[in-house]
Amino acid sequence: MVLELRNIEKSFGEKRVLTGVSFKAESGKAFGLLGRNGAGKTTSIRILMNVFPADCGEVLVDGKNVDYDKLRIGYLPEERGLYPKKIIVDQLTYFAELKGMSHREAVKSVDYWLGRLGMSEYRNKRLDTLSKGNQQKIQLITALAHNPDIVILDEPFSGLDPVNAMLLKDVVKEQISKNKVVLFSSHQMNYIEEFCDSIAILNSGCVALQGELHDIKRNYVRDRLVVRTEYPEQIRKDFSGSCTDMEDGGLIIQLKSLDDKKAVMKKLVDDYDIDEVKVFEPSLNDIFVEYAGGLAKEDAK
Amino acid sequence: MRQFGKIFKFEFKYYLKNKVFISVTIFLVLLIAGVMFFPRVMNVVKSDENGDNEPKKKSVMLVKAEQSEQSDMVLEAFVNSFADYDVQLTEEETDAVKDKIISGEAECAFVVTGATSYTYYVDNLSIYDSKTEVADEALKSVYQMNAIVESGITMEGAQEIMGVQIEGTTEKLGVDQMQNYWYTYIMIFALYMVILLYGQMVATNVASEKSSRAMELLITSAKPVSMMFGKVIASCLAGLIQLVAVFGSAFLFFNVNKSYWADNMIVGSIFDMPPSLLGFMLIFFVLGFFIYAFLYGAIGSTVSKLEDINTSVMPITMLFIIAFMVVMFSFASGTVDTVLMKVCSFIPFTSSMAMFTRIAMSTVPWYEIVASIVILIGSVVGVGVVSAKIYRVGVLLYGTTPKIGSVIKAVRKG
Repeated sequence: MVLELRNIEKSFGEKRVLTGVSFKAESGKAFGLLGRNGAGKTTSIRILMNVFPADCGEVLVDGKNVDYDKLRIGYLPEERGLYPKKIIVDQLTYFAELKGMSHREAVKSVDYWLGRLGMSEYRNKRLDTLSKGNQQKIQLITALAHNPDIVILDEPFSGLDPVNAMLLKDVVKEQISKNKVVLFSSHQMNYIEEFCDSIAILNSGCVALQGELHDIKRNYVRDRLVVRTEYPEQIRKDFSGSCTDMEDGGLIIQLKSLDDKKAVMKKLVDDYDIDEVKVFEPSLNDIFVEYAGGLAKEDAK
Repeated sequence: MRQFGKIFKFEFKYYLKNKVFISVTIFLVLLIAGVMFFPRVMNVVKSDENGDNEPKKKSVMLVKAEQSEQSDMVLEAFVNSFADYDVQLTEEETDAVKDKIISGEAECAFVVTGATSYTYYVDNLSIYDSKTEVADEALKSVYQMNAIVESGITMEGAQEIMGVQIEGTTEKLGVDQMQNYWYTYIMIFALYMVILLYGQMVATNVASEKSSRAMELLITSAKPVSMMFGKVIASCLAGLIQLVAVFGSAFLFFNVNKSYWADNMIVGSIFDMPPSLLGFMLIFFVLGFFIYAFLYGAIGSTVSKLEDINTSVMPITMLFIIAFMVVMFSFASGTVDTVLMKVCSFIPFTSSMAMFTRIAMSTVPWYEIVASIVILIGSVVGVGVVSAKIYRVGVLLYGTTPKIGSVIKAVRKG
């Protein structure tokens, strides 16, 4: 299954929120929708979920307009919240039923997920008796219980302890392996990098960058080397002018031209006591700051 | 439709499981039971007290005539007029009579000072004390009787003249306002209370879903129209159930204790309501409820914080209270067919109460009733759909409560 947003435009009053947003997410893969606060992620997701219509543009599944009565979407909103005063199993089955399950199916599925996330003991408790992290897990069930074709997770890891984060990772991997479209939106780049094969970065309502994460990284000009060594002083001295320090203690050497790569690498290996030398590939964090930070740079100007 | 069913069930269950809802309903039923069983209980208590069948001791009323030849006639007139009192003739001085009243030996005293004058002595004058009026009548008839006898007519003849009975019958061609007054009053009041109470509940319900952010999920799971109608119809049914519980138990308890209420005209008339009026009550209740509940729901959706609810629903509540006032004033004055009431009975926001009052208290042509109901049904659907639109836009607006203008603009666009 391929989910595609094509040329989506949306304004609220005078304010233009999305300008020609297009991206594609495929089943069996995780897709990362990135962007700074206010870049238009939530609006894109809401249009995708038919909360409100786009001013123009299309939402397509396998090239056809979406039939929202048939397509099942699971959504974990960034703004978490359910009914605090209601019994957990009641509200979970309610949401699963709203998404089209029969009562029996819903109860069965909710019980499965409560067990899967280790929450069975809270089944008949009120939501507000749970800790924040556990409430988060309950909320996750609302996104998954009705066995959706598309799973949209907005900041799924925020507020989870490392053990629960691990549990969630397993669940997400399982969803991907079940050939679902998994759409991530997060500011925690390490998780995106871990899961997502392709990404789109939104900046002020436009797609600033999109594609396979691997390709994006490869497309960067490979004219920098990363060197790790116990004795950086000599290298700094010899490469002064083209050598900068990295935050993690490594050194970056800027090559004068791509053709120098082999020679410089050989020189480093032969002449110095180094642990590692490789071509520098930017992290997603670097890419994000570069593309999504445009506004910040403009602001600064 | 399927979603609507689910939402309706979920919301309705909320009322049935709501402790406040249940306890208020039970409290009201118990209160009604208490009121309805009151005469029976009193009767049991009374008959226990008077186990030896001795009649209850009456309060003493002293009567003194300064002209002694009047004494017999005055005493007879007072005994006849004040059957609830032990009327005693006294010849003591006025000061002694006063002392007796202060000491509580007698409750009150009439000192008749002439053929057409008297002084009434009483300890604390109750605001409901009408004894002087009765005494006026009694003394007037004594005076008239004497005057007639003096003109040469025999005592028997005089009594016949004085005691003449007029026979009159009333044939009502429309409705009997006197008979309809009380249950119409109760129904308008019930309508008013339930709409105000449940309307606020709908608004709070929507606003709390929004403030707890459950809305983020709901709005992506269900259509706003289903949400709105599901909520409003569930609360309407809950309100109806409460009404039926209260009025049903009142009716039941009344029938159990019917014989004890036999001499209470008001209560008797309340339960003697024609079924057609009950049908109209149901129609106007449901439609009036819907129109306001939709508005309350829409307003609730524009509020981000629960604290802001009261200020935001104020315009709707004011509108409703004004409608209630207009109807109540016309109703209390007994002239329900004024131009104002006629106009109000076709305006959807007032017609539920105004038209119902007119049907109950006057004779309304059938086509006016039909027109009013049709307008109301049309407006309910219209307001429902518009409310659902406001709801869809409103629930996603956080921060300060939006201005009406911006909501309308967003609804038009949306």
